[in-house]
Amino acid sequence: MNPASVPWPARIVPDGPWLSWLGLREADPALALAAVMLLALIVADVAYRLLRLPRLVGYMLVGTLAGPLGLGLLRMDDLADWKPLIDLAIAVLVFELGSRLRPRWLLDNPWLALSSVLEGLLATLAVGYALVALGAPTLSAMAAAVVAGATSPIIAMASVHDLRPRGQVAERLLLMCALNSVLAMLALKLWPLLATAGQTHWASDALGWGASALFVASGSFLLGLACGWLVDRTGRPGGHPATVPVLQMALVMLVSTLASAWGLSPLLTLLIAGITARQLMGHRLTVEPSLGSAGAALSVLLFVSTGLLFTLDGMVQLWPWVLAIIIARLLGKGLAVALLARPSGLGWRQALALTLALQPMGGLAVLLVMRDFAWQAQLPGIDIAVLQALLVATTLMQLSGPLWVQLGLRQVAGESPTEPRHGT
Amino acid sequence: MALEAFTHSEALTLGVELELQLLDTLDHDLAPRAQDLLRVLDGHPGAWDVKPEITRSMIEIGTSIQRAHGPLRDELHDLCRQLSRGARKLNIGIGGGGTHAFQHWSEQQIFPTERFHYISELYGYLAKQFTVFGQHVHVGVPSGDDALWLLHALSRYVPHFIALSASSPFVQGVDTGFHSARLNSVFAFPLSGRAPFVLTWDEFGQYFEKMTSTGVVQSMKDFYWDIRPKPEFGTIELRVCDTPLTVDKAAALACYLQSLCRHLREERPFEPAEDDYLVYTYNRFQACRFGLDGEIVDPRTKQRHKLRDDILRTLARVAEHALDLQSLEANDRLRDSLFEGNDATWLRAQRQAGLPMPAVVQAASERWMMK
Repeated sequence: MNPASVPWPARIVPDGPWLSWLGLREADPALALAAVMLLALIVADVAYRLLRLPRLVGYMLVGTLAGPLGLGLLRMDDLADWKPLIDLAIAVLVFELGSRLRPRWLLDNPWLALSSVLEGLLATLAVGYALVALGAPTLSAMAAAVVAGATSPIIAMASVHDLRPRGQVAERLLLMCALNSVLAMLALKLWPLLATAGQTHWASDALGWGASALFVASGSFLLGLACGWLVDRTGRPGGHPATVPVLQMALVMLVSTLASAWGLSPLLTLLIAGITARQLMGHRLTVEPSLGSAGAALSVLLFVSTGLLFTLDGMVQLWPWVLAIIIARLLGKGLAVALLARPSGLGWRQALALTLALQPMGGLAVLLVMRDFAWQAQLPGIDIAVLQALLVATTLMQLSGPLWVQLGLRQVAGESPTEPRHGT
Repeated sequence: MALEAFTHSEALTLGVELELQLLDTLDHDLAPRAQDLLRVLDGHPGAWDVKPEITRSMIEIGTSIQRAHGPLRDELHDLCRQLSRGARKLNIGIGGGGTHAFQHWSEQQIFPTERFHYISELYGYLAKQFTVFGQHVHVGVPSGDDALWLLHALSRYVPHFIALSASSPFVQGVDTGFHSARLNSVFAFPLSGRAPFVLTWDEFGQYFEKMTSTGVVQSMKDFYWDIRPKPEFGTIELRVCDTPLTVDKAAALACYLQSLCRHLREERPFEPAEDDYLVYTYNRFQACRFGLDGEIVDPRTKQRHKLRDDILRTLARVAEHALDLQSLEANDRLRDSLFEGNDATWLRAQRQAGLPMPAVVQAASERWMMK
């Protein structure tokens, strides 16, 4: 396989007759996205009623059809106007994910802690090995494998909203996707260290990269603590009930922006903020119900936008690598979960359900989308074909992600009622 | 269908069963996690037993046969520790209390066994509304005749146990004003209330045959009486107690019953009579509604007493037996609780301190798990 044969970044956007006929592009890209969101709501609802397709898949499909991969109604660039809202949607979901975690569980159940680390690690090693075996450059394969080790916290959290599961598979899914995303993020911060190995000044650069990783980890942790503390202070009894959720959202957005501006990890920051706020506030912290329909609208925007970012460029040449990523990841996660299922208190059926639910990819978007949409800038020196194979695999496993989660939580684990109370 | 023979057992032996709440640690609503917890506890080293209950958010634990307060309390502590460890491993909470403060019965899931599905089909929504949590105390008796005599002699003391154990003031997120709202759910069942006034096992057998011939009941399990004989165990079973918020209270209640039974059996202060039941439902209502502040009517003298005073007098009367049974500590504990208030009072105090309902449930759970 010749990496050079795969063009990247592929931004071939057909300015077809649709655009001129609709006149959307000329009017305002923001208007076009709003129209696509409206369409997404209708299509997702019809698809849900007729095919029982999760609404999240419907939103992403419409985004995909409207984007470069489909009719080309919208480009990635058009998302720029909406970026603050997309960031807010991600931030709120990650903050809520943090608020649902109880770190003490990892101490109460050390087998679970081990299982959580092992599933990310084995998935990473399996993907890396598979890619290298198929001829990918080792360093690039490992970088892609690190990203592939993570499960999309966004899809997991949004699916949990949709499915309303109650049970330990859902709880473990949220815990593991948070952990494997954070570990992947930290591992990627050290990526340049490996990529520049052997070059002159490597030793001094290595010190710099190490310090940078430490800065990101500790800085994000401290900023998250501060955010959680502030959410608690602003939520103290006495404040007007209507203003508390607004203050909460404002703080989450502020901290997410600061983390991004200061080169920290918004993911880690918001997770720590959510955990801290929950610890300090207990049942006074109400994240999801407070956001209500605003949160639902943000989710639609987020998933339509996600569809716009999808790519299948180079699929014809890269399919063996894409397939290898998907299968190796499934096997790696499945093996780790199965190995420690019984000691950690999980039944075999639940272990299967958890393995399925851990499949959604998209960690890349969460890890890197905060500053801009230029993912490749975060991995200097990575082989372009490997990166493209990763993006295609991500597209497939993100689009099908809600189906994997639904299959795991509802059909296999039986943790979700047959009919969700309401969709996202 | 004929009634089975009454198994002989050693008089005044004790067994305690507790129905417990399984809680989600995030929102402290009931969590359908019984199967997970049962799997984790499978093969536990204790002599106690753990089994499923009608909905998947409940479990029932039962002690081994006990004779005195100390060993009973130790066993309850052991099972509490092991259950709590298993629950923490699975990220769930365990709580006492006769009702869950804000669960919605319609969201409960029936535990998948043949009997529970049968009950669910027979009673419809009542089965899910039966997501309430009680303490059952078994007291050993040598024969069926002894069992029925003791069962009816105990009837006038039923309000004591309701008021002392009451821990269910909240239902579906609302303060009911009752100390034990749980029993209102039990009363909805057609075969609840009091056992028929028969004093020999033969007579009871005739009653049982008549009932089974109507098709209304299939076994003794279909009777939801406040006190019922349990022929296969050789016990009578007191079923009116709410599950207390601590296992110490559960042990104390069981031992109060034990010393009361010894007092009744050895001193025979009165002979049970059908007319004892004239005031039975009134007294029971008073205990459910007002707890220790309830006012009961003595079925013999027709005099009214504060329930708290009646319990105090009874504790004094049975003190000698409690001493012989090594249960004085248990009775002292109950005497103290008469002035501190029951668990329903404690739960209301949490709520009145400004805690939201989930936080009240969390506080109760932390108390049960001895955090």
